Amino acid sequence: MGYKISLDDMNLALEELSKDYMIYAPKVFEGEGKFSDTDLIRYGEVEGLEEIVFDEKSDYSFKEALTPISEVLFYFTEDEIKEADKPDRGALIFLRSCDLHSLKRLDEIYLNNGYEDYYYKRLRENTKFILMGCQKSFENCFCVSMGTNKIDSYDSYIKLEGDTVYIDNKCEDLDKVFRKADIQEVDVKPDFVEENDIKVSIPDNLSLDVMDAKMWEEYASRCIACGRCNFVCPTCTCFTMQDVYYTDNGKVGERRRVWASCHVDGYTDMAGGHSYRKDNGQRMRFKTLHKVYDYNKRFGYHMCTGCGRCDDICPEYISFSNCVNRLEDAMKEVE
Amino acid sequence: MSVNTNKLKKNAFRVTNKRGLTASRVRVPGGYLKAEYLGQLQEIADKYGNGLLHITSRQGFEIPGIRYEDMDKVNLLLEPIIEGLEINQDIPGTGYTAAGTRNISACIGNNVCPYANYNTAEAAKRMEKTIFPNDLHFKVAFTGCANDCIKARTQDFGIIGMTEPQYDKDRCVSCGACVKACTRKATGVLSEVNYKIERNPDKCIGCGECVLACPTGAWTRSKKKYYRLVIMGRTGKKNPRLAEDFLIWADEESIIKIVQNTYKFVENYIDRSAPGGKEHIGYIIDRVGFMEYKKWALDGVEFDDKAIVINNVYWGGVHYK
Amino acid sequence: MGKNEYIPFKSEIKEVIKHTDIEYTFRMTYEGDVKPGQFFEVSIPKYGEAPISVSGIGDGTVDLTIRRVGKVTNEIFEHYVGDTMLLRGPYGNGFDLDLYKGKEIIVIAGGTGLSPVKGIVDYFHANPDEANSFTLIAGFKSVNDIIFKDDIERWKENMNVVITVDKDADKTCKLGLVTAHIPDLVIKNIENTVAIVVGPQIMMDCSVEELFQLGVIEENIWISQERKMCCGIGKCGHCKIDDVYICLDGPVFNYTKGKLLRD
Repeated sequence: MGYKISLDDMNLALEELSKDYMIYAPKVFEGEGKFSDTDLIRYGEVEGLEEIVFDEKSDYSFKEALTPISEVLFYFTEDEIKEADKPDRGALIFLRSCDLHSLKRLDEIYLNNGYEDYYYKRLRENTKFILMGCQKSFENCFCVSMGTNKIDSYDSYIKLEGDTVYIDNKCEDLDKVFRKADIQEVDVKPDFVEENDIKVSIPDNLSLDVMDAKMWEEYASRCIACGRCNFVCPTCTCFTMQDVYYTDNGKVGERRRVWASCHVDGYTDMAGGHSYRKDNGQRMRFKTLHKVYDYNKRFGYHMCTGCGRCDDICPEYISFSNCVNRLEDAMKEVE
Repeated sequence: MSVNTNKLKKNAFRVTNKRGLTASRVRVPGGYLKAEYLGQLQEIADKYGNGLLHITSRQGFEIPGIRYEDMDKVNLLLEPIIEGLEINQDIPGTGYTAAGTRNISACIGNNVCPYANYNTAEAAKRMEKTIFPNDLHFKVAFTGCANDCIKARTQDFGIIGMTEPQYDKDRCVSCGACVKACTRKATGVLSEVNYKIERNPDKCIGCGECVLACPTGAWTRSKKKYYRLVIMGRTGKKNPRLAEDFLIWADEESIIKIVQNTYKFVENYIDRSAPGGKEHIGYIIDRVGFMEYKKWALDGVEFDDKAIVINNVYWGGVHYK
Repeated sequence: MGKNEYIPFKSEIKEVIKHTDIEYTFRMTYEGDVKPGQFFEVSIPKYGEAPISVSGIGDGTVDLTIRRVGKVTNEIFEHYVGDTMLLRGPYGNGFDLDLYKGKEIIVIAGGTGLSPVKGIVDYFHANPDEANSFTLIAGFKSVNDIIFKDDIERWKENMNVVITVDKDADKTCKLGLVTAHIPDLVIKNIENTVAIVVGPQIMMDCSVEELFQLGVIEENIWISQERKMCCGIGKCGHCKIDDVYICLDGPVFNYTKGKLLRD
């Protein structure tokens, strides 16, 4: 159902929705870029539509709204374990097509792969997804190559044009709220990009043999193992458990999980000190193959959704899309 | 030939080692300028100089080989540069009004450098606006971080950028990048306790390495900018020495006020019988004592809670005399 | 909402068996199905969770043999009979004993690798008719590092048990690597022979090579892998190798799959 309403009415609707939902969207965090006098665009709660950054890509993805960077699982004492409370409201998340495709990847791991993740599910089932259109492809995007440039599985599509808000709504709960405004029914079609400057091709014959290709050696000297590519990635889901103790005997405290990165030291450390993939080039190989090879082998579609944030953020200018495009030659080399 | 050398020196020309020839010093506060001014400098050098330019150690330019009788013409051609770089001037078209207070220099700062904690060129310009023209011999420089690429510690006033790292524990993944960066590159004030980072604020120098290292944005910069003010460094024949800390976690406004106060102090205490009537601030302070200077310097200055004022400053350096 | 798999349950320590200075078995109360080769996530005060494989299955109990390595598993040694520990699990696929019944069985274990296979040895020790023959070759660094000493003596009653040590052998064991004893194995029907190999990667690789020499085919070889496992339930990602999650799809792998696992 397509309609348009005024920005003021939209903001009134958001105000009403904020009683039941935390409204997450990409917004500017002034002065929070890593360099002085630079800003950061990441997800945070917004009150009005004009706070949302529509015309730039966010540095970090929406995933922190569903998989918090640091999340308490439960509190423990000598006698009992108390599950951490869930938020008292659901969530409304503004995101682009590539990110909505990424949601399927998060669901795959957290809801389907083996056991169901209780904490993810309880956030996920109370979340609605608002699609933001892309009028143009941003730098480093390669969604078209990954087939993630279009999507229709949104609850609502919202576009701000001047003081007018165009909505394509598919959700009854939201419809009830939007309809309180003075609406005018119009045909609304989401803006999707049809082409990116960056294109990737994943060789059909890609196999684990590519592990032995020379290309990874270059990344061994370039990658600094900071993990930024993983942390900004909308599809990376790894975490590490941490027990924090409030008492010296270690019997009272909390257990939480925090994001983990397969590039960062310690990712494979086992008790006793043994670890795997000490070489940063092999970490690059591990991540790359997960994104465009072995995830597909397990689940039937590629993990990478082509948002290009990993390229945007890498302080060493390592381009993931470039790496993927080198796989074809690498396969020729090892075959 | 009749030339009033006192007058020309105050007009930013100088007596050179070639009879009949002078040189003109061009101020570039912050050392950051539109490239178009280079074309204008070239014009002056070709027309009235010997076609050469010297890049001065304080980030200005010196145009050598100018005949004394061409000084007025050079001043006319300098006018668009003086105006373009927004240099305070008494009478337009007559060149620089003073030369004692030297060009305010700055490292490249956050116009380019990732480590800089602020825009040093802009800060230099603000300082220039406040203290120039003045014929008292003051050297001021701004540097973006504790690396001190401009060598602020060789100045009368060196301003070193600082940021107070802000930690959001909920964004921290205990990757250890900040601890490693601080330990290896700075003062090692970070430690991981219970998977979260603790910072020793007493030893933190506000360099921002933790912010640069953090992959999740758990560390960010303080909204407010802070500075370390180091004072009375100098080169020279008697007692060259590095500047010592006077203020830590200070604000720009206070620093400007202190520099202004220092002019009053110098006016009051300067030994006019010194050679050329010039006595450097550092030697004046050596003579009258730091505590007396401090009284003058801090007059009317109001710091916020964070600022640390060093009670008594001691300098070292080499004593040749 | 489904079950919150992250919430551990309390389990009482029924018995503590000290094997060496650094290796203890904790006999824990547990009601429910569990297989040798599976593991529990054990909460260790002042550290966190660690995946510990099941080293024995009793009536209402499971044995967890824990080696004191690093800071990970030190705190656990402060526990005594009557104390409780927090567990999650069992997780992982474990060994399917049915695959080995009626076969000539060779179990090769290195060091603590004996823990995950101990349940298999126990089973066929108690049910000798269900195996055509049973050989255990277990290697340790030294005599002092030998774990399950009492069990080993018990197994010797009706099984072919070879214990090796890297140095200073005594009368209970032989000097050398486990691989040295594989060529000497007397096998009646190589096609009806299965082998289970658990231990450090290099030991598993060399043992498998010897088994191939003997004529054992890779379809009849099983290994168990150890990796960092934070969650045990296919979420945290640390144990993934290629498209395999060790915690879900393993830790036990038939060698046809196990040989492909490159970190």
